[in-house]
Amino acid sequence: MTSAALNRPLSVAELDAFGAELDALRARTMAQVGAEDARYIRRIVATVRYTEAAGRALLFFGALPPAWVLGTLLLGLSKILENMELGHNVMHGQYDWMRDPHLHGKTYEWDIVGTSDNWRYTHNYKHHTYTNVRGMDDDIGYGLLRLFPEQRWRPFYLFQPLIAVIFALLFQWGVAIQRLELGKVFSGRKTKAELREEFRPVGRKMRRQLLKDYVLFPLLAGPFFLPVLLGNLVANGMRNLWTYAVIFCGHFTADAETFPKSVLQNESRGHWYLRQLRGSSNLSGGRLLHIMTGNLSHQIEHHLYPDMPARRYAQVAPEVRAICARYGQNYNTGSMWSQFGQVIWRILRHALPSRPGKAAPLVAPVAEAV
Amino acid sequence: MSLSPAPHRLLRAAVTAPVFDFWSRQFGSIQAWDRCLARVVGRREEARGAVTLTLQPNRRFRGFAPGQHVNLTAEVDGVRLTRSYSFTQPPRADGRLRITVKQVQGGRLSTALCALRPGAVVELGEPYGGMTLPQGPGRYLFLAAGSGITPLMSLSLALEQNPQAEATLVYWAQHRDELCFAEELRTLAARQPRLRLHFALTREPLRLAGEFGRRLDAALLDEVAPELAAVQVFACGPRGFVEQARALAQGRAQRFHGEAFTPPEAAGGGAPVRVQLRRSGQTLEVPAGTPLLPALEAQGLRPDSGCRMGLCNTCACRLVEGVGQNLDSGETIAEPGSELRICISAARSDLTLDL
Repeated sequence: MTSAALNRPLSVAELDAFGAELDALRARTMAQVGAEDARYIRRIVATVRYTEAAGRALLFFGALPPAWVLGTLLLGLSKILENMELGHNVMHGQYDWMRDPHLHGKTYEWDIVGTSDNWRYTHNYKHHTYTNVRGMDDDIGYGLLRLFPEQRWRPFYLFQPLIAVIFALLFQWGVAIQRLELGKVFSGRKTKAELREEFRPVGRKMRRQLLKDYVLFPLLAGPFFLPVLLGNLVANGMRNLWTYAVIFCGHFTADAETFPKSVLQNESRGHWYLRQLRGSSNLSGGRLLHIMTGNLSHQIEHHLYPDMPARRYAQVAPEVRAICARYGQNYNTGSMWSQFGQVIWRILRHALPSRPGKAAPLVAPVAEAV
Repeated sequence: MSLSPAPHRLLRAAVTAPVFDFWSRQFGSIQAWDRCLARVVGRREEARGAVTLTLQPNRRFRGFAPGQHVNLTAEVDGVRLTRSYSFTQPPRADGRLRITVKQVQGGRLSTALCALRPGAVVELGEPYGGMTLPQGPGRYLFLAAGSGITPLMSLSLALEQNPQAEATLVYWAQHRDELCFAEELRTLAARQPRLRLHFALTREPLRLAGEFGRRLDAALLDEVAPELAAVQVFACGPRGFVEQARALAQGRAQRFHGEAFTPPEAAGGGAPVRVQLRRSGQTLEVPAGTPLLPALEAQGLRPDSGCRMGLCNTCACRLVEGVGQNLDSGETIAEPGSELRICISAARSDLTLDL
């Protein structure tokens, strides 16, 4: 089904009402945020720390296969939780109201090779403000992949089924260099000196992560250096694949849309909300899925309310869905298999030349809107 | 140096402040990477509605001078709240600290602190304040009203270590059972001739010997300090009280030092307020009630910013002091340590920002 069939264009007045309803839902929910949310995020912190400790301890006995498998799984679980439910959400400022310096959005440093500062820029600012706007949101294909027919085809994209797999396996490295915009260096719009300067903090963070997972903990294991090193490598790989899958499901499913830069001109709050909705897609599932995805299974709610404690998304989701229904908007959700299947289809399909279909307008032409 | 650079760098790769602090607390320790935590080791009902807490700080505590205050932070219902309290005892040999908390009607932190039991953990900031006793000879008049007694209590106790100083303490409360340290002060005054002590009770029908029954006025000042020109006056209490003391003593006394507790007052829209930027050391005037980011930019500043609609958190900066307002939600933000997204927040009083 095309987007035009799924979504009704809204008049300017309808957009304002749509925005006001979502604003009101936000205000009602934020008024409830408090002790319960604080307890929750502290429990997540404790789970991250204890699973990491248990995983690393088991890996010290990694010469025994069951210990290696369990240790690696626990460490991978810890890294996924730290990345998604803790790091990503804390960096959005979702828990700033607690005033806890260790849960502070602007200073939290997460456990991946990318620096939090660069993430805050590319993700919190660029991606969340200009979600799925072509030429503004670098998350559209990360400069490597062609996922939408509106992106210009080049022969390079014929290799993207292979490139997408490599990118998934090395996802944290991709995130780490995203802000360096290497494309600009190749095209001469950025000097080598500028790149060196920008790389310095990134290089420091990479070295720190490599030292930790591939030197320090393996050395501490003495004779079991190799099993520990391999366990850490696999745990990091688990996180790469999982975060890649979750993030791609959030914006690259069949019905997710991209937008031209012109949508940003004098954009109203209602229009901004509508764009977030039309560019995002959810994953349906149980509590475990929601926690393991850092509640990005509620990508739509996250994009409407990026600074709301993510555990509240499940609570607001039925209301968001009802509001969408009232305004004739598709609420894009499905199982992880179905949504990720659509992502894989996009990767395969748009490796070959493809032409955009008719774009569905967000706003109704004025004549109709009267 | 205990470790050569290579192992040190390795360890630093694995151990960060949040990790260290988490495990330290899990093992029941109050040591922290770079914060000063303190454990409550003693609690005493000091007077009606006032509690004295004895605190054992961790190694991060760097000491203080009598008369100084400290920002104390505790968690209440998941939210950290910070208020300033005065040390009520000079530094002790065992390193423990004493503060006295007056329970404020509707005060979330003071109510929680008064209910704390030994074992609880709080956080302390850097001690600060200039109402301290210089070494050497000096004659002092301490005027305390209500919880204004707290810094003056540690100054009174500090007289014992400063043999060339002498002081008169006048301490106001409404009722006798609200007097903090009454016994301790009487014992001190009986033992220490260099301290003269007067209580003043404004709502007590019967007065005991040596007690005043009225507010601060010129006659009372003459009575307790006949040679005012040779005396340094320290006044501490509610704003009205300190202003009255200042009106009576400033210019006539050798020196006047007043410290008042005042909740910040909110300014109306458009009125100019002073915004102090602590990190860049600048002070600017901006209109109250208008978004801070464009107001700062209009004066040539370039604070970090992103979406300019209150969602990306790039422009968030810490409110050190004062009243702000989130213009989107209308919410007033007065809690020190709160994050202010300056693209959608305005000043409602003079502000200090960590910017």
